[in-house]
Amino acid sequence: MTKYVLKRIGQSLVTLFIVVSVVFLLMRLLPVEGYFGDGYDKLTPEQRTAALQRMGLLDPWYVQLGRFYLNLAKGDLGTSIIYRRDVPVLEIIAPRIPYSVYFGVAATAIALVFGLALGIGMARKKGKTVDKVGTGYIVLVNAVPSAVYLLFIQLYLTSFFSLPLLFDRYQVKSWILPTISLSLGGMAGYAMWMRRYMVDELNKDYIKLAMSKGLPEKKIMVRHVMRNAFVPMAQYLPAAILSTISGSIYIESLYSIPGMGGLLVDVIQRQDNPMVQALVLIFSSVGIIGLFLGDILMAIFDPRIKLVKGEGSR
Amino acid sequence: MKKALMAGFCTLLLLAAVCAGAAPKSEDYYSVYSGELTSLNYLVVSTENEQAVAANVIDGLVEYDKYGVLVPSLATDWSNSSDGLKWTFNIRKGVKWVDNTGREYAEVTAQDWVDAAKYIFDKKNASLTADVAYSVIKNGKAYFEGKITDFSQVGVKAIDKYTLEYTLEKPVPYFLSMLTYVCFLPVNGQFLAEKGARFGTDNKTLLYNGAYIIQSFEPQVGRTLVRNEKYWDKDHVYIKRLIFKYNKEAGTLSPELFLRGQISDATIPSSLIDSWMKDPAKRAIVRPAETTMYTYFYAFNFNPTFDAQYEPDNWKIAVNNKNFRKSIFHALDKRAAMLTSEPYAPERRLHNTITPRNFVNAGGKDYVDMAELAQYAKTDSFNKSLALDYKAKAKAELAGKAKFPVKIMMPYNAGMSDWTNRAQVVEQQLESLLGTDYIDVIPVGFPATGFLGATRRKGNYAMQECNWGPDYADPETYTDPFVAGSNYNWPEMAVGYMQSNGKTVYENMVNQAKAEVVNIAKRYELFAKAEAYFIGEAFVIPYAIGGGGFIASKLEPFSYPFAPFGMSILKYKGQTVLPKPLSTEEYNKLKAKWEAERVEALKKSKF
Repeated sequence: MTKYVLKRIGQSLVTLFIVVSVVFLLMRLLPVEGYFGDGYDKLTPEQRTAALQRMGLLDPWYVQLGRFYLNLAKGDLGTSIIYRRDVPVLEIIAPRIPYSVYFGVAATAIALVFGLALGIGMARKKGKTVDKVGTGYIVLVNAVPSAVYLLFIQLYLTSFFSLPLLFDRYQVKSWILPTISLSLGGMAGYAMWMRRYMVDELNKDYIKLAMSKGLPEKKIMVRHVMRNAFVPMAQYLPAAILSTISGSIYIESLYSIPGMGGLLVDVIQRQDNPMVQALVLIFSSVGIIGLFLGDILMAIFDPRIKLVKGEGSR
Repeated sequence: MKKALMAGFCTLLLLAAVCAGAAPKSEDYYSVYSGELTSLNYLVVSTENEQAVAANVIDGLVEYDKYGVLVPSLATDWSNSSDGLKWTFNIRKGVKWVDNTGREYAEVTAQDWVDAAKYIFDKKNASLTADVAYSVIKNGKAYFEGKITDFSQVGVKAIDKYTLEYTLEKPVPYFLSMLTYVCFLPVNGQFLAEKGARFGTDNKTLLYNGAYIIQSFEPQVGRTLVRNEKYWDKDHVYIKRLIFKYNKEAGTLSPELFLRGQISDATIPSSLIDSWMKDPAKRAIVRPAETTMYTYFYAFNFNPTFDAQYEPDNWKIAVNNKNFRKSIFHALDKRAAMLTSEPYAPERRLHNTITPRNFVNAGGKDYVDMAELAQYAKTDSFNKSLALDYKAKAKAELAGKAKFPVKIMMPYNAGMSDWTNRAQVVEQQLESLLGTDYIDVIPVGFPATGFLGATRRKGNYAMQECNWGPDYADPETYTDPFVAGSNYNWPEMAVGYMQSNGKTVYENMVNQAKAEVVNIAKRYELFAKAEAYFIGEAFVIPYAIGGGGFIASKLEPFSYPFAPFGMSILKYKGQTVLPKPLSTEEYNKLKAKWEAERVEALKKSKF
């Protein structure tokens, strides 16, 4: 197991190095005028040169890349050059992470509890009202663009329940709708996949055998069907929780939540290289760790899955 | 009904109080915004978004009053040497720098302007407005470029604690107006040195001498500005708190927030304006938004670099024919195009000159009413019969030289729905009038990100809607896009306009106007002649001015500093938040009154 973990860490570091370096170089290929936004036309060539010099962009690419990794080794992710000029990148990112993580984790928990319950209910009552209503909900959430129903929820439910339209961290009421809104998509996803995997399991021979042996339905459902149905989803659960750090672009925008949502898109558009590099590093690390934990979780749920080759295996 | 009557009564009372000279009472101002500030360091930023904060927290030497007349601010008075090169300012005594808690830090002195200039002219700081200052200050550019290193040779000096002297490279008749720009604001040198690279990165690393203090500043959350109780002109600051809340979807949500009473003003997007106008209750609270001094025009490109499929060589032949350009110049129905942005009052924004009306005047006579420009200013360029006459002439002259129909590659920003619609309207309208046997207008959508870089700046267009905003109060500022070295439409490459000195007719006319620095009326006349010539030769088609649209707002209009450029117009000083928003009728009455008063104020103005 230790060997497996070390090997995965080594692979992860190589992957991170490649991803970050490629993004670093791609950012340098973007047009120079992107660093100046709409003000480009008003600047003299001398001013443009001075600004590029200040951003360290006039050095050869390998010097810039070397400087980045040298600073990274010292724990310095650099300072923002455009998004918030002269402010250290970590100082910008750190206060935003807790908001995204809170909303993401809370929404994932709600989605898991209610989504799985709905999926189980639909599988157990296949073809009945619960199944039809659940299917309707899943279709609605997936078919209607989220931008539409989320805006409707914000405008009408805040009015109906007298809730604040915008998020205010000091007003507990303002936390409710964004959390629920954020869970709707995940809830539909968990319900759909739980139903599907459970229906698959219910049709397998070992379940039919258990039923014919007279095992109680509750026992069959909890010990066999649900556990096996959950295995494929367990793999993605750690990644889903960890990826909450990246925030929700639309919900955070709608409710004015100062999280991470949309930050990467913003800084790419503004060509703030240090910010892009730091975020790519963080998000890539989180993705890699999530997959790793997913593999371990899957092995815990399903004892048949081995992460390392057993003795004598060929 | 009773509530509405009461609110109306309160508004009238308030307006009456303003007219009577009593200090008006005001509610706090609430707003949402979608574009976060990149920095509070006013010495380096250049966008209006950042300048809007600087305008309210830092005062400069002079400012504009509500009629657009320059008045003293931190300079109590000033003088100009007989050769026009030296400007001496007497600094107001007793003005304090305070920190974000309102605690006094130091007194504002003449040295603060010297320290600011030294910071701006240091290219390591990469100030985005340095060029505005070094274009006029003696040795400013040389210091910026490192050609001289002794700052005492730069034309900014503190003669004593309260006397500041600027020396210019050459006489600049509009120098006073430049002083309302961010790069001429003062800074406390000691504080600047203390904070180093962190200066202006948040509200605690900034000092304030203006009407407001930034009490709280949380990017992506909001900011609160409170009245500076130690402000030298506190009696004219009526709104005590300005509360801004960040929301990425502010444009979408602000009308609803306004209706719920959570914000003080909201722009009503063109997609909603129909429903607001049809609802009597909403119609009563919506009014026109002010127009700006941004100018919009359709440019013909003389340096086409677009793809071969759009036939750039053929375009080059066609665009160099004056009659071809004139045919399009007179064929463009600007009103039809404007309906895509302004369905209710398109005329408000339509314009027939490059320089907007009300930008500058000499002795009360508006610039656009001078010389040959006056004729263009009052004539709509859309004229079907003239368009068809020029078409016939162009076809005859270009027969055997250009291929018909001439492909006109016309990019538009696909991220803006009204521009997307407008591109289709212009295509259909031009083709239906001039015929598809003559032109083939091809609108090409480009993404919003990097739009100008992909289109105009690299010459990737045949005809494109462009805009330009002024940098100082002089018509010269509107000539910048069209002189050699610019990247708008390269008129210097047009065939047949070069004169013996290697410059185009237009550039020579502009240079002649620039050389006149003593007689302002004559200077403006010369610029007006040059602009009339440029329009007459159809290098561009003047189209519109910026701003406009509709807003629902409780802010009292026409009470804040008015200026054609710079940051004065971004000030909340002098404004009040009314108990209820004005209707269009109420707004129009106030506007008419303001315009009449302005004419008188400009006549009396010395500057």
